[in-house]
Amino acid sequence: MTFIPLTRLPWRNTIANHYALPNHWIAPASLTRRINAWRLWLADKPSGHWLLCHQQPLEFCAALAALWESDRVAVLPADNRPETLALLLEKVDGTLPDDPGELESITPFAHPEALDPTATAVVLYTSGSTGEPVHLTKRFNQLDAELTAHAKLWPLADSGVISQVSHQHIYGLLTGVLHPLCTGTPFCGDECRYPEGLFARLQEAGAAGLKPVIVSSPAQLSRLPEHLPWSETPRPTRVFSSGAPLALEHAQHTERLLQAPVIEIYGSTESGGIAQRRQTQGTVWQALPGVELAFFDDCLRLRSPFLETPQHWWHQPDRVVPTKDGFELLGRADRLVKIAGKRVSLNHVERVLAAAEEVIEARCVDLGRTDGRMGVVVALYDAFIPHQHDTRHDLVQRMRAHLSHHLEPIAIPRYWRFVDALPSNAQGKLDRALINRLFADLDNHKIPRWLGEQRPGADSCLLTLEVPERLIFLEGHFDEYPLVPGVVMVQWAIECANDCFAELGEFQGIERLKFQRVLQPGARFTLQLTRRDDGIAFTIESHEGRHCAGQIRLQASHGGKHG
Amino acid sequence: MSETCNLTLELKRLIIDTLELEDINPSDIDPNAPLFGEGLGLDSIDALELGLALQKQYGIKLDSEAEETRRHFASLASLQALVEARRDN
Repeated sequence: MTFIPLTRLPWRNTIANHYALPNHWIAPASLTRRINAWRLWLADKPSGHWLLCHQQPLEFCAALAALWESDRVAVLPADNRPETLALLLEKVDGTLPDDPGELESITPFAHPEALDPTATAVVLYTSGSTGEPVHLTKRFNQLDAELTAHAKLWPLADSGVISQVSHQHIYGLLTGVLHPLCTGTPFCGDECRYPEGLFARLQEAGAAGLKPVIVSSPAQLSRLPEHLPWSETPRPTRVFSSGAPLALEHAQHTERLLQAPVIEIYGSTESGGIAQRRQTQGTVWQALPGVELAFFDDCLRLRSPFLETPQHWWHQPDRVVPTKDGFELLGRADRLVKIAGKRVSLNHVERVLAAAEEVIEARCVDLGRTDGRMGVVVALYDAFIPHQHDTRHDLVQRMRAHLSHHLEPIAIPRYWRFVDALPSNAQGKLDRALINRLFADLDNHKIPRWLGEQRPGADSCLLTLEVPERLIFLEGHFDEYPLVPGVVMVQWAIECANDCFAELGEFQGIERLKFQRVLQPGARFTLQLTRRDDGIAFTIESHEGRHCAGQIRLQASHGGKHG
Repeated sequence: MSETCNLTLELKRLIIDTLELEDINPSDIDPNAPLFGEGLGLDSIDALELGLALQKQYGIKLDSEAEETRRHFASLASLQALVEARRDN
């Protein structure tokens, strides 16, 4: 399988292979029909920048190729939230629909022999985890240079690429979509975000005689469950991880379960790929082919053909230690906040916390509150997760005492959120929206404290929550024995269900309601929500057992759905 | 009994609400344990905040730099003694 750069339109030059591919998989050679459908749709539309936001890799890829063939630029939003898209609408010439319709004639569209390497190919947006999303343009020659480096390091011969990450971002775009596209490699990125989906795709790859390559992120690898019979799936050639730091423990966990090397790619939307490593073999990062490194005062600078200005030194805002054949990463250099006029390094606080025996990893967040106090999200080993007020209180005291040996009192975080793993979005990042959710109870004294959720399917949701000590509903009960009123538990179930499932409708009644145990402030609990035909079923449980369960009848309001 | 008890609870609530001590219940505050440093772990910014709250709630003016203030802030019990002696309402 030869590598064809994007400028040579690989999607028009791939030879059909003979793999029998199941539903979720895409053979680059079979894209032509969909590309033509998009070309037809675009034929009478303005040129310029087009918003492209498709979850499905098939339509995404076909639309992207059609835009490029017709000299248009693809604008890829960081996510598909309506607010995000609304902000971008005024900056583009149009938005691509979900589906261009079926093409009437299968006559191939004329396409150029080659694309201009200096033309803009895509506009990307950073995830905005550290602030407002920033937009960046990438030319074809930047993308091709980086794809060439990938092809050299990680050839895809006889492979099938399974991507668990969004192709709206540079890493998922290059590794999960464009590299397979340029080499005619079958790929899939649909319904494999979760372990069960990944497992199914791995089995399909095996059945089709393809060597699987997994494109993943720390969010997914850290949660790879033991209970699936991974040994029954073909061993992947490699597993990629990028987007956030991967803990060594999680790299080892993944290698043990999947029996494949975990390769981390270090870089950013701005810089493109910088270096790679296999953490189980060594901590040193090695530069990608074509990347030139320099070190100044602990900081990393680089020149590479993946950058917007390849001849200029790019300052990567990370602190590093140079080594013989690469560098070690110390953390971001610019994560400093001022609290009461004192500079506090968030990295330092996180490192000190991570050294505590209870802690897997920690993330400090500047909540932008008037008191200037920091919040911290701490992932703990299971045995140390606090389940009630007293254990939580003692844990916070222990953490504070631990930090006080290393930090000024002011730098000690005030707002603590204990989780079993850091919550993350589709790009594997703990983004601002998630941070807001984790700390929402600070300003809203009517809601439970959100600590994460799992969605095993479209109709069920398992939320991990905590009863805030300052919950407004605790008042009016005995001071010595405060508890959450039953009606509040039911209200929470309805509110959370409304966030989880669309268009639930109005309250009609409650059935099979049982209160089995009181729920006290500081208690950590789970809220299991299941969608039913006529509403929802819910169960509130904690370490002590079941607190409350019931079924709530809800009726969809009329005319809510569009035809 | 009830007046002292009420003031104790009121002050505990004042501290918790003013300083947003989300993991602390009134019963977690030992009236005789130090508020700053070890005990509750409050710091100099908290002292300023608490000073403002006392002024607002009870009309007590304190010079946050003075040695005397530090004594008043030593524990909940000493804070309560201050409020009982100097409150204007």
